[in-house]
Amino acid sequence: MSRTVISVQDLHKSYGTTEVLRGVSFDVHEREVVCVIGPSGSGKSTALKCLNLLERPTSGSVTVAGTDLTGPGVDVDGLRARIGMVFQHFNLFPHLSVLANLTVAPRQVRGLSKDEAEEKAHAQLRTLGLAHLAKSRPAHLSGGQQQRVAIARALVMEPEVMLFDEATSALDPELVKGVLDVMKELAASGMTMVCVTHEMGFAREAAHRVIFMDEGRIEEHGTADSLLENPTSPRLRSFLSQVL
Amino acid sequence: MDDFLHTFFDWHEIGSVLPTLLTEGLGNTLLIAALAIVLGLVVGMLLAMLLLSTSRWVRLPARIYVDVFRGIPAIVTVSLVGLGLPASGVQPFGRSPLGYAVIAVGMISAAYCAEIFRSGIQSVPQGQMQAGRSLGMSYLRTMRVIIVPQGVRNVLPALTGQFIVDIKESSLVYLLGLSVGQRELYFIAQERQAATYNSSSLVAAALCYLVITIPLTYVVNWLDRRLRDGPSTRRPLPATAVAEELPTSTATFAPHDDLSKEAKA
Repeated sequence: MSRTVISVQDLHKSYGTTEVLRGVSFDVHEREVVCVIGPSGSGKSTALKCLNLLERPTSGSVTVAGTDLTGPGVDVDGLRARIGMVFQHFNLFPHLSVLANLTVAPRQVRGLSKDEAEEKAHAQLRTLGLAHLAKSRPAHLSGGQQQRVAIARALVMEPEVMLFDEATSALDPELVKGVLDVMKELAASGMTMVCVTHEMGFAREAAHRVIFMDEGRIEEHGTADSLLENPTSPRLRSFLSQVL
Repeated sequence: MDDFLHTFFDWHEIGSVLPTLLTEGLGNTLLIAALAIVLGLVVGMLLAMLLLSTSRWVRLPARIYVDVFRGIPAIVTVSLVGLGLPASGVQPFGRSPLGYAVIAVGMISAAYCAEIFRSGIQSVPQGQMQAGRSLGMSYLRTMRVIIVPQGVRNVLPALTGQFIVDIKESSLVYLLGLSVGQRELYFIAQERQAATYNSSSLVAAALCYLVITIPLTYVVNWLDRRLRDGPSTRRPLPATAVAEELPTSTATFAPHDDLSKEAKA
């Protein structure tokens, strides 16, 4: 087995008296694509955001690349710079051009010069077929273009892991494929990915493993084929019957 | 009617006071106002950062400052700072009243700017902070590079209003007494009015204030539109882009203009 990149142990998260996560544990290995599926409110997005501490777990541990994120004195910013994240609503910076959206983190976090950062950004945009959008403002792009720019913005930091939080859920149906294609190419290139998704087709095609979450727990966990074709738990069966 | 016109619009009177207003008064008014605005912006932004803290003990002093300085009449604050401070032996500006006026007007302005900035920053969607943090930027860096520029843009019209208030409040320096050379618009006009019992000099000063404040509104509105649209959209697109690019002409921007007008209305 290859190196473990993410290790989650007994994760709990509560907001006041509401328990969103009730003991979630899983590992993600290098070059592995893990899809997290489940009904809304099952805690899958919260679990994902615990992986880069955008949400702070109430208890439990998250280890990324050998560093315990929840330990004392951890350089959280330094670790986040190595973990890319793509959001449901893109969250591009609307006051910056596409190019500046890509260069802001390399310049601010990595300390690259403007020229170095722009060179990398242009290269990244070319890879994703977005070179012609470099000077545009996010508001002038379609949702699909915005999400691909958001992926490029994360990738230009050369992350070791990519987290996708329902990356296609806010898109019009005809724009979903373009984004999924980028994600599939990324998966094929060997990127370690954790994807919270409703796209069962993507899970079946790209995921090495699928995690099914329900009510803050992992209900079922296995390879995409076994989980999606032969669900054992009644909850997963009823979930799949609704989404497929 | 002749009396009325003579009292307010005596052209001879206006003509004789105008050179002093323009050569001495305008410059001093602008100097006090500009420095007070800068002070208000800098201190106001610092206060806004404190107001946004999650710790109530950080918020509390800023909250008290804002409530106190918004709650006191400007004339009282100017008197306290300009007359009280020097009398108590605190004389950072010696006997020149201009410095005390800048401090007083700037401190009031800071209280209002703090609330304006706070509301602007809070209007930036939460996802922007998450995106900045997820890229490895610290809270303060994300604030500086991502959140504050957007927040300030959202409140430019409100800030213009505050700048106008600061320009007008600079006239309160007359309370502190000014010698020749330090006089600002209102002081010159009311000195003249006291000597001649004719209000035309005050009308002349009023016109001078309008000459500053009205263009300011339009300059900021122009800046506002420019920042929203972004200078980058002006650049010609490479030929390959035209097919996929949305139209960049006025049609795309019309809704923006409508929205900003709505916001100001």
